[in-house]
Amino acid sequence: MLVEMQVHGFFMCILLRNSNVCAIIDKRTFVLFGDSSKMQELITYEKKNISIIESITPQQEMSLMDKLGILADSAKYDVACTSSGVERKGNGKDMGNCIKGGICHSFSGDGRCISLLKILQTNECIYDCKYCINRRSNDVPRAIFSPEEVCTLTMEFYRRNYIEGLFLSSGIVQSPNYTMELIYQTVYLLRNKYRFNGYIHVKAIPGADPQLIRLTGFLADRMSVNLELPTAEGLKELAPNKHRKTILAPMRQIQNGITANKDEIVVYKNAPRFVSGGQSTQMIIGATPESDYQIMNVAESLYQKFDLKRVFYSACVKVNEDKALPALPGGPPLLREHRLYQADWLLRFYGFKASELLDEKRPFFNVMLDPKEDWAVRHLEVFPIEINRAPYEMLLRIPGVGVKSAQRIMMARRTANLTFQDLKKIGVVLKRALYFITCNGRMMYPTKLEEDYIVRNLTTDKDRIKFGSDGMTYKQMSLFDSGSFTAEPSQRSLLASVSGQL
Amino acid sequence: MYIYRCEESMEGILTAIYNIYEDRRAFVDTQIRLDDEYILFGEDVPVQGEREKAEKVSRTLYRKFGPMDYDTICKALASWSPDKANVVFHSIRYGLSASVAPGRLFQHLSDENVLRASKLALNAAREFQHLQGFVRFEELENGILFSRIKPKNHVLQGLMEHFSDRFPMENFCIYDEGREQFAIHPAGKPWFLLQGDIAVKQVEHIPHSTEEEMYAALFKHFCHRIAIKERENYELQRNMLPIRFREYMTEWK
Repeated sequence: MLVEMQVHGFFMCILLRNSNVCAIIDKRTFVLFGDSSKMQELITYEKKNISIIESITPQQEMSLMDKLGILADSAKYDVACTSSGVERKGNGKDMGNCIKGGICHSFSGDGRCISLLKILQTNECIYDCKYCINRRSNDVPRAIFSPEEVCTLTMEFYRRNYIEGLFLSSGIVQSPNYTMELIYQTVYLLRNKYRFNGYIHVKAIPGADPQLIRLTGFLADRMSVNLELPTAEGLKELAPNKHRKTILAPMRQIQNGITANKDEIVVYKNAPRFVSGGQSTQMIIGATPESDYQIMNVAESLYQKFDLKRVFYSACVKVNEDKALPALPGGPPLLREHRLYQADWLLRFYGFKASELLDEKRPFFNVMLDPKEDWAVRHLEVFPIEINRAPYEMLLRIPGVGVKSAQRIMMARRTANLTFQDLKKIGVVLKRALYFITCNGRMMYPTKLEEDYIVRNLTTDKDRIKFGSDGMTYKQMSLFDSGSFTAEPSQRSLLASVSGQL
Repeated sequence: MYIYRCEESMEGILTAIYNIYEDRRAFVDTQIRLDDEYILFGEDVPVQGEREKAEKVSRTLYRKFGPMDYDTICKALASWSPDKANVVFHSIRYGLSASVAPGRLFQHLSDENVLRASKLALNAAREFQHLQGFVRFEELENGILFSRIKPKNHVLQGLMEHFSDRFPMENFCIYDEGREQFAIHPAGKPWFLLQGDIAVKQVEHIPHSTEEEMYAALFKHFCHRIAIKERENYELQRNMLPIRFREYMTEWK
C-alpha cells in the first residue's frame, strides 16, 4: 500500500520505524510504502495524529480465470501439442502415466488438438520480436502464474481427464536465467511435491545457463527450443534480441544429453531419464522470404544433425502491424504449411530427401499437387510399379499408398497375388494410385503414362479453373505461354513488318 | 446349415466355437449368430456360455496365434458389429486350418473374414483410443470422480484398465449408458463391474463438489482461448471430435 500522509506531533518516528519512506514532500508530508495490513493497523491506531491525503492499494489480484485466459491466449501460437513418444506405466501411488502414441483430449475451434495444458508461465517479455504478440512494445494485458498455481491447475485438470499433461513456455522476464529458473521451479514442484507422473513438455530458454537446462531435462519428457525462423538473416531482421547461435547451443546440449543418457540407461537401468520423449522445434512460415526448398533443407539437417523428433511449421499469423512483416492479405499461408507438413512426412517416413522434392530451380511446392504426386509425375520413368513384386521402398513412393497400406501390401502378398479389388480393401487410394501401378502386369484400365494426362486427372475441375485463371501451371513457364503470341497478327501489322515500319 | 446362437459376450462366443469343433461340423456350413433372426434351412443350435470351455479356447488361441493376434481377436470381439462372432470364428478356422505361424494371422488379409475381423478390431481400437481422451470426470461432493460414456464398442473394460493405471489412488467410476454397465475403482484396489442401472441411480443424486464448477468453467475458458481465430476450421474439428462424443464432454455442456 502506498500512502501519502501528513503527520502531526511525535508520531512521526513511530511511523518511520514501521514502514518505508518513499519520498519526503515537505517537513510533515511523506509518501510511505508498506505492507497493507500493517499500515491499516497503524492508521487506525494513530488516527488523530495522521491525516491521510491519498492512499493507493495495489491493483486487485487478477483472478485465476483471467490469468489462464491471458496466458493461454499468448501460448496458442506455439504449435507443438503432442503427448507422444513416452511410454511410462503408473507406479501404483502417484497420479499419471504416459502412453506411447499420445492422447488427444479435445479439439479447439481451429481443429487443432488440445492434449496438454498449453500455457505460458508469464507473458511479460524483455524481447521485442516483431512477429510476437507478447513483444515488449505491445500494449497487451500481462499476467504471471506462480509455480503453485500452475501445479494445482495441472493436477485438477489431469484428474478430470481434461488434459494429458503440461506444456510450459514463457516470455523472458528479467533475464533468460531468471525465466528458466521459474520454469524449473514449477516443474520441480509438480514432479516432487504434487507427485505428477504424467507428460511434461517445457521450453528451453535460449541463453539460459546450461546447468539449469540440464536439471529441467531430468524432470521433463520433452523439451524444445524454438528455431523461430528458418534462416539466421530472417532471425536478425525480425527477432533482434535472438541469435542463431544461442538457439542452437541448447539444442545441441539437449541432443548430447539424450545420447549420453541412453548409454547410462544401458548400464544402470534405474538412472534418471533425460528428455525421454526427445526434442522438437518450430519455425514460422511466411514471415520472411525463404523458399520452401530452404525450409526443407533446414528441416532435413535438423533431423539428421540434431536428432529432432519433430519440426513444426507454423503459418505466420499476423498479430502485429509492423513494416518488417509481410502483408498476408489471404490470411495465414495455411496451404503452404500443409504442403510443408506433407513433405516433412515424406522425409521422415517415406525415405525421400529434400533435394529430390525440390531444387534451386523449383524452390516452391506445387499448389495443386501434393509433394509426392508432384515427384511422381516428374519421374514417370520409374512407373508403373508392379504391386506384387516391387520392394517396400518403391511401394512407398506411389501416390495413394501410405506407410500402413504399404505394410499391408507386403504382408498380404506373401500369401496371395493381389488384385485391384484387394488393394481397395487394403486401403490404397486407387483414385490417385491407378496411374502409377500394375497388378500382375496390368493396369486398372488403359491410361496414358503422360504428365499432362495424369495431372489433369489428379486435379479436380474446380482446382483447374482456379489454377488456369491466375496463369500458374505445373510446368516450367516459357515466354511463349503468353496469350499475345498465339493471336494471329493483323493485316495492318503484317504490312507494317514487311515494309519495315516497326 | 447349422446356426449356433449364443449371447453377446466373449465367454458365449468362445464356447460356441468350442462346441462347433466338438460337434465336428462342416465349417463352411456353420455360422455363429448373436441375434434370433430365423435363417431359411438353418438348424438352430443354442449355446450356453461355459467358462471352462471359453478358457480352453482362449488358451489355444493364445498359443497358436501369439499375443499380438490374440489381442486383435479380443478387440474384434469387443466390436459393436453383430457379425463379429461369425467373422472371428471363420478367421480362427482359416488360421488353424492353414496352420498360420504365431503373429501372422492378420497378415492373411486376402481372406475375407480375416480382413473383416481386422477392420472390426481396428474400429474398436480407434474408439477406445478416442475415449481415452474424451472421457470427462466430474468430482462429486465426497471426492469421487464420476463419468458417463455411450460408446459403440465394448470399451469399458479397456478404459478401466487405462484409468486405474493412471489414477491408482482415486475413487472413480464410469457408467456405460448404452449397456448399463457400471465400473467402480476404489482407491488402491482392483476395479470391478456392476450390471444394471441401480448403482448409477445412487450416484446421480450426489451434488458436485464446491470446486467442480470452477474447474469446469476454467477448462471451458481455456478451450475457447486456445483456438486461433485466423485458422478457424469447424469442419476439421468435427472430423477429429465427432459430435456423438460431445454430449458427455465438459467443454460442450
